[in-house]
Amino acid sequence: MSEKTLLKGNIAIAQAALKCGCSCYFGYPITPQTEIGEYLSLKMQESGLGYVCAESEIGAINMALGASSTGAKVMASSSSCAVSLMQEALSYACSDELPIVLVNVMRAGPGQGYIYPSQGDYNQSVTGGGNGDYRIIVLSPSNVQECIDLTYRAFYLARKYRNPVIILLDGLLGQMSEAVEFDDNKYDEINCSNWTLEGAKNRPSRKIHSLEPSSNKLNNHIKKMFEKYSIIKEKEADWEEYLTDDANIIVTAFSTMSRQAKALCNYYRRKGLKMGLFRPKTLWPFPQKRLAELSKKADLIIDIEMNMGQMLKDVELSVLGNSKIEFIGKPVGDFMKIDELVSRTDEILRRTDVSLSHS
Amino acid sequence: MNKSLLISGAGGQGIVSISTIIANIFMLSGKFVSLCPCYGAEMRGGAVNCEINMSDSEILCPQNDEVDFVVALNQTSFDKFINKVKENGTIIVNSSLAKINKTRDDIKYIFAPLTQEALKLGNIKTTNSIALGILSKLLGNLSIDNVKKAYEKILKDKKELIQKNIEAYLLGYNYIQEGN
Repeated sequence: MSEKTLLKGNIAIAQAALKCGCSCYFGYPITPQTEIGEYLSLKMQESGLGYVCAESEIGAINMALGASSTGAKVMASSSSCAVSLMQEALSYACSDELPIVLVNVMRAGPGQGYIYPSQGDYNQSVTGGGNGDYRIIVLSPSNVQECIDLTYRAFYLARKYRNPVIILLDGLLGQMSEAVEFDDNKYDEINCSNWTLEGAKNRPSRKIHSLEPSSNKLNNHIKKMFEKYSIIKEKEADWEEYLTDDANIIVTAFSTMSRQAKALCNYYRRKGLKMGLFRPKTLWPFPQKRLAELSKKADLIIDIEMNMGQMLKDVELSVLGNSKIEFIGKPVGDFMKIDELVSRTDEILRRTDVSLSHS
Repeated sequence: MNKSLLISGAGGQGIVSISTIIANIFMLSGKFVSLCPCYGAEMRGGAVNCEINMSDSEILCPQNDEVDFVVALNQTSFDKFINKVKENGTIIVNSSLAKINKTRDDIKYIFAPLTQEALKLGNIKTTNSIALGILSKLLGNLSIDNVKKAYEKILKDKKELIQKNIEAYLLGYNYIQEGN
């Protein structure tokens, strides 16, 4: 372990990317993630690595595809409304099976929205905004230390599965500083030399493309992609549990909102209620099985998000009627504080009759 | 121990710098710490504030409706954040740039002419360090070694400013006398 340093989420991601051996970065400035590009512009130039501040987000992500096809470790970063512009390329990257790490530091939407934080891009990241059948691995950190750990993991998973990985965090975490340590990257190096395009001297030529006029071939290609996705679903789902052992009320939340949700659990534990937190660290694959198990023992699930209820759908699909589900949300702006969460939870507890009697 | 602070003022007054130094001091003291900056699209002159939370355990609420201490370096931030101080909390106000006015009787006020004191020291940019000195005295238990280390770390590219800022810090630290 190195000594502790105080870093903001954005810088932590940028530094972790360099530690992973990220050799090409493409981006275009947009609040609240601009520090990632700003930091890398200096460091990557110093080290002779590839840094391009592109003419647009569409340019940036397509450059990322090109660089990735040569085997370079590639990262791009942007925010919400600008990540919308990248959706076409993400669909291509999935079909081309190109490993790309894309960081989305969410700001408010829909449309242009504003620079204050939000968690409104859950759907865009998890279900995708591009055409066709594809899946993107989505990792979501809740503190600055995890920004580092999940960046390491993102580079690993992207190359292991030859698929784009999105690191999804809210603007609050991107801007917030915390004390962190840089562990050694524990993930294996993935050898990509069997598919990259770096000149065909002394070997048969290869091509990477998503265009496929033969429907048979395209069907087989997509089936192969989905075999890969089922392995990812089986092996890579990851989550955090807090006080869930005996919980009959489970709170679900992701990224920074999960911290206030933990504080909520502490508050109700002091009142004698058995409340625990379930936080997916992978939003896709969503840790469906584990939440299903927990919901069988629970009377009530409360999903808390800084949006109008996007992860809620995945929570519902996991719980499948095992217990009641309620939602606490707010679309944009200052994150819901503990007082607001308590008053809205109290209201739910009164209405649903899951009361202090469980203590 | 948990403590929450809000440092506020105008862009250019060193709000982010001093907040980073405070957060580093807490980190060097082995605490959990979070620092959330908040600023508009303006450069110099716009409103800036940073919320810092310090705790012995993981920080679950990096943003709060109320904090233990507010530092307001100008009139706008004094007016804006006076109601963010917890009951029995303290506000430190730069009376060089804000009128002395006590609208609440459930909090402690410390008015100090920080800008004037900084000018007397010969560098207006040390205003924020004087404020930090006062704050440190109120927080207690901050080792001067960690304070120095934090300044050395943050001002490593502006070494000539370290000594002046520590001088300003000590001026602030001794500004309120014991039992006052």
